[in-house]
Amino acid sequence: MNALKTIVRSLLRLLLTPFRFFNKHRNGIAPSEVRHELPNDAFLGLVSEKLAEGHTAVIWVKGYSMRPFIEFGRDKVKLSSATSYHVGDAVLAEIAKGHYVLHRIIKIEGDRITLQGDGNVRGVEHCTMADVRGMVTEYIRPNRILLADDEGLKRNIRLWRRLYPIRRYLLFIYKAVI
Amino acid sequence: MKINEGFELRTVCDENVIVAYGRKNIDFSKVISLNESAAYLWNAVADKDFTCQELADLLCKEYEVDAQTALNDVKQMVASWKELGLVSD
Repeated sequence: MNALKTIVRSLLRLLLTPFRFFNKHRNGIAPSEVRHELPNDAFLGLVSEKLAEGHTAVIWVKGYSMRPFIEFGRDKVKLSSATSYHVGDAVLAEIAKGHYVLHRIIKIEGDRITLQGDGNVRGVEHCTMADVRGMVTEYIRPNRILLADDEGLKRNIRLWRRLYPIRRYLLFIYKAVI
Repeated sequence: MKINEGFELRTVCDENVIVAYGRKNIDFSKVISLNESAAYLWNAVADKDFTCQELADLLCKEYEVDAQTALNDVKQMVASWKELGLVSD
């Protein structure tokens, strides 16, 4: 099965080479800087604190769980706290003590929120409104900044949600292009 | 010279990072982190005027280092702080 996946992926890469050429990652690190990772819980705790004080925060995103909208090592996001959050918002939430995720709200039932990463095929998280620390207001890519309320982006997010039954296959193709 | 308004030193796990809280947006994608001795000096002069010599003296008190090395290191560190906009005369 793995061999088959590798073969299909390699074929896809070959076919999609022109697209990959224009899609190179850039992680925006200058020669005088070093890439440095801080542990999630402590770092995002500090970020949450500043969001609660009324600041906005720009952070790199770690992990692949928000593909294809946010790519690890390439994109940053700007976070702001808000008075209310809605389905479709990508939010920073503390789902357990010290455990943070940056995932999208897919369902709200009263005070209970269901979250799922755009790049996740299975697995959702639950929390309450009070656990949400802030939402993504800007998707900062190497070549452009996309505002969260951009109509085109919102349409794509809704489309991505509707394509959930075939998300696994779309992600497979996406990984080949990336 | 003095540390500029709007910067605070925070410890995140074992890292000493400088958070710029003076403006609405805080850019956490590029943080300045201080090593142990730099953080010690920062905390010692956080809210007052200081000179390079005073910092060097603090270093000599806390660490085993000769006065000249301490002063050279402090001057280099303060120069980079100034370049980063953390400190002004």
